[in-house]
Amino acid sequence: MKRSPAEDELIQSLGPSKFSAEGFMGHDTRPVDEIISADQRKLDRLGISIQTLVNSLKAVYQQAQQAHGAEIQIKPGVFATFYESRGRVPSPFKTDGVFEKGEAVAREKETGQQMIITQLGIALIERHHFFQGIGSRYRIDPEVAVRLLGLATFKGDAP
Amino acid sequence: MLNAVFISVGFLAACGGFLAAVLVMAEKKILNYGPCEIDINAGERELTVDGGSTLLSALAENSIFIPSACGGRGSCAYCKLKVSEGAGFVGPVEEPHLTSEELKTGVRLSCQVKIRNDLKIEIPKELFAVKHFRAKLIGKEMLTYDIAGLRIELIEPQTIDFVAGQYIQLESEEYKGREEVMRAYSISSVPSDNRHIELMIRKVPEGICTTWVFDYLQEEKELYFSGPYGEFHMSDTNAPIIFIAGGSGMAPIWSIIQKMVEKGIQRNAVYFFGAISQKDLFYADELNKIADSSEWFKFVPALSQEPEDSDWQGEQGLITDVVKRYFPDTSAHEAYLCGSPGMINACVSVLTEGGMPEEKIYYDKFA
Repeated sequence: MKRSPAEDELIQSLGPSKFSAEGFMGHDTRPVDEIISADQRKLDRLGISIQTLVNSLKAVYQQAQQAHGAEIQIKPGVFATFYESRGRVPSPFKTDGVFEKGEAVAREKETGQQMIITQLGIALIERHHFFQGIGSRYRIDPEVAVRLLGLATFKGDAP
Repeated sequence: MLNAVFISVGFLAACGGFLAAVLVMAEKKILNYGPCEIDINAGERELTVDGGSTLLSALAENSIFIPSACGGRGSCAYCKLKVSEGAGFVGPVEEPHLTSEELKTGVRLSCQVKIRNDLKIEIPKELFAVKHFRAKLIGKEMLTYDIAGLRIELIEPQTIDFVAGQYIQLESEEYKGREEVMRAYSISSVPSDNRHIELMIRKVPEGICTTWVFDYLQEEKELYFSGPYGEFHMSDTNAPIIFIAGGSGMAPIWSIIQKMVEKGIQRNAVYFFGAISQKDLFYADELNKIADSSEWFKFVPALSQEPEDSDWQGEQGLITDVVKRYFPDTSAHEAYLCGSPGMINACVSVLTEGGMPEEKIYYDKFA
C-alpha cells in the first residue's frame, strides 16, 4: 500500500537518529498502527484504560526521580531506580516537543522482568497510544507494565 | 506504431527536462534573495550574508556558534534566539518548541528561520566568544564504574577563555552506523589552565555520544568541540555558599572550587555531594584535602543507599534531607546546583523553604 509523505516521515523518525541510537521500533517490522492496535487490545483484555496506566507510570517516574538514584519500592518485589541524564530528546511525532532524558528503571527482582519509564515513553502512550516496537529498549509492554505496577493480578502472582 | 510511441515518450521526456530546467532557473532568479543584513543586539554587530540559508548556518559561517544538537532539523530546540524583525511566519516544526510567551516576544528556532530579507536579532553576548576547537584526548580515566574523566589538549585554537561553571558541546564521530552528534558537558578543569579542558562524563545506556566516548575515543585521538557556553558561574558577592551536586554534576562545581583555591577566594562554602553508595564517590580525597587545609571549605558526601553492614561513617539519606539538617535556615546563603531537573527542583524547594530567595539559587539543569 502506498504511504503518504507524512507516514514516510514518521517511519523515518521512528528509526535510529541523532537522538535515539536504536530508534523506537526495535526489531518490530509491523506498521505503527498495527503495533498500536495490538497493544490496545492487550490493555482492553486486562480491563485497564490508557489513562490509568499513564497516571501510574507518571507516579512511579516522579517517585523514582525524587529519590535521586535511591531504589524505591513500587509493590512487594518490584523496585524502581532513576538514572539521570543530561539533555532532552525530541518526540518522533514532530508536534510533541522535547522531553527530559532521565529514565526510571522498574524491575521485579525475582523474575528480572523490567521496563524503562521515560517522559517521552509516557507521552508516546498518552498522546499516540504507541508503546514502541518489540525489541525497543524503551518499549513499555502493556502486560508487563500492568503487572509491575500492580494494576491487575496475574496467574502466579503472589496474593 | 512503435515509432509513434518512441516519439511520444521522447517528447514527454523533453518537456519534463525543459520544465525542470525552467524551475531550476526560476528558483535561482526568483528566489535569489541577494545579500541580506543581520543586525545583532541593536548594532553591536552587523553581518552581510547571502539570503536563502538558515539563520543558524549563516551565523555559524560568521563564527557565531549558537548551541544546537540536532544539526538544524528543528528537533532539539537548543538554537532559540530572539528575532525582533524580519523572521516571517512561525512554521509547524518550530511551533511545538515555543511557549506562548516566546511566541509573543519573537523567540525563534534559528535553524528554522530562513533568511529572505534583513533581520534584527538578539543573542546573548557570551555567544560571541564561542569558538570551534580541534583538540586531542590526552587522558582518560574511570572516576567510578560509570563516570570517566577526560583530559583534552587544545590544538586549534590553542587556548580557551572560559568561566568556571561553563560547558562545551562535544562532537562525536560516526560509529557503527550511528550519526555524529553534539552533546553538552560541563568543564571540570580550572580556567587558568587555558590550553586544556577536563570533562566528567557518565555513561548513558544506549547514549550515542557517551558510547563513543567510552568505547571508541582513545587517547591521542583528535576530536572537535565548540564552546564555552552557559551562564552558570560564581557570583561576585561574599555570601556563604551551598554547593549541591552528585555524579557527573560535580564537573562545574569542581571547576569553581579549584578556582576558589587558586585565587584565594575564601568565601565560606559547603559542598554536599549526593551519591547512592561508596562506589559512586570520587574526588573525595581531593575535596577532603581542601577541607582539611582550609577554614572556609567543608565537604559533605551523603549516601542514600549504603549497605547496612557498611563501614561508612559519614552522612546518610537523601541529599535534600542532609542539606536541611545542616542548614534549616538558608536565608543568608547562595546555592549552586548541578544535576537532573528533578534533583534541582527538589533542592530548590528545600532551600527556599529555608528562606533562601530563589534568585540566589544558581543552577545548571541537565536539560
